[in-house]
Amino acid sequence: MSLRGAAAIVGVGETPVDRLGGKPGEPRKSTAEYLAWAFRLALEDAGLEKKDFDGQGLAAIYTTNHSQPFWPEEAANILGVSPAVSLAGGNGGASAVSLLGHAAAMIQSGVVDLVVVVAAAAPFSERGRSRVEPADTRDFEMPFGVMGPNSKISFVMSRYMHESGMTADHFGKIAVTARYHATLNPGAYLRKPLTLEEYKNSRMISDPIRLYDCVLPANGGKAYIVASPERARNLRKPPIHLLGWGERNNASAGPRSNANPLITGVRECGKAAFQMAGVSHGDVDFLGLYDDYVPIVMLQIEDLGFCEKSNREFFARTDFTIKGSLPIQTGGGMINCGQPSTTGGTLHVIEAVRQLRGEGGARQVAGAEIGLVTGLGAVNYGKNFGCTATAILGGKT
Amino acid sequence: MAEPAKTIPKPLPEITPVTRPFWDATAQGELIMQRCKDCGSWVWCPRPACVECGGEKLEWTQLSGRGQVFAFTVIREVVGRALRGFASDIPYVTAWVDLEEGPRICSNIVGCPIDQVTIGMSVEVVFEEAAQGIFLPKFRPR
Repeated sequence: MSLRGAAAIVGVGETPVDRLGGKPGEPRKSTAEYLAWAFRLALEDAGLEKKDFDGQGLAAIYTTNHSQPFWPEEAANILGVSPAVSLAGGNGGASAVSLLGHAAAMIQSGVVDLVVVVAAAAPFSERGRSRVEPADTRDFEMPFGVMGPNSKISFVMSRYMHESGMTADHFGKIAVTARYHATLNPGAYLRKPLTLEEYKNSRMISDPIRLYDCVLPANGGKAYIVASPERARNLRKPPIHLLGWGERNNASAGPRSNANPLITGVRECGKAAFQMAGVSHGDVDFLGLYDDYVPIVMLQIEDLGFCEKSNREFFARTDFTIKGSLPIQTGGGMINCGQPSTTGGTLHVIEAVRQLRGEGGARQVAGAEIGLVTGLGAVNYGKNFGCTATAILGGKT
Repeated sequence: MAEPAKTIPKPLPEITPVTRPFWDATAQGELIMQRCKDCGSWVWCPRPACVECGGEKLEWTQLSGRGQVFAFTVIREVVGRALRGFASDIPYVTAWVDLEEGPRICSNIVGCPIDQVTIGMSVEVVFEEAAQGIFLPKFRPR
């Protein structure tokens, strides 16, 4: 069964991001405040009211610094709504895109006709709870001094460079493009232009990962509202329709004890999304790819089928800016706009809606009608991302 | 004379019934992994059942301890409170090693300067005592 046209995004809300609260005397906001703020902004954007969400759906993304087993219920309590159904976003950075499909399925089934997806985190101003690490990480990575995702993505990147011959110039081009878009986005956190030289001179964190390959952790809140096509028709803003969607978790190319880490689950969920949408690669006007690390953007472009694996020439030749043939990270991406913990991926969904409404301002992709977004979460032992999701959105059905 | 700085402990594996045979073996200087008797797949990290076919007949099998570096990184910064114990080791190399028999293991490359580690380099296992009775399998150039 297809979710094509089953639902549309009718409202988006995004608070400013900051990195304050870590030092005495700095202003600090809680996750709850960001959550309520983002919800309010999304309601305003859609022209809906809080009471519209009683008896509707609420989808809450778990945050790593404020996670508890009843988080969706706590989120409902914070927002003061009484939802008929709670969807729990437990797919880390993939949750934002994953929940879009779950929300659409819930709407298509007729259980509800509105779902609000809420996401917020304040890692700088709230002390995180101690994390429970997966057993493989706890027992077979941490005793060897593996520094979380930084190191794990470095393994993948070192192999990628070895197999493909990609260099810092290829990665740097992606970083420079994303920053260029951030300079055009008043909401971006890092807005100073970045040169390729500056990228290459940024300090090594975990070879071959440099500082400017890594995402920017931040405080912030984001929300988007999904509605049935009927409900979407008479709201404040034009609906942005879900055309295609796919999710794939614990994907492994090859045997699980010796997987190919250069192939992500995006290969499968991307294929599913394209099939459902009934569009081809040439129809897609821009990509918003989950970017906790710069080289991961490149692996996704390959896995989505925009080029074959390790095509150095493609990455050197293609103009990825808003004026080019394949615009990516049109608002600057998480790398420049900040990542409020596992909720950060919501950024790409919201940016896609803005582009498809024509609200991109100086960073608008001319005539954008179809956009593709991805979400990624968890980095499993010896593999690449554990959770992956892809959605294709369109201004027209 | 100043007191020596208190050593921050490094994280250690939590030994469970499923992983105990592995750690018992490393303490004896042996590298073993589970292999499925039904489908022949290697199962790593240790599991209660085969991740390929679901079979529960897993057999601990000895490995040669020889392999090649598949990917590696030089750790230059500590990230997170739990790993502060590694601060004095920086820079050091963590790697994915492809063992001769097939499975891939995450470990450290030791016994050579960090700038001499390369992908494809041949390595062999050595066992380093990380705490009383707990030996970590690490790899050195062969």
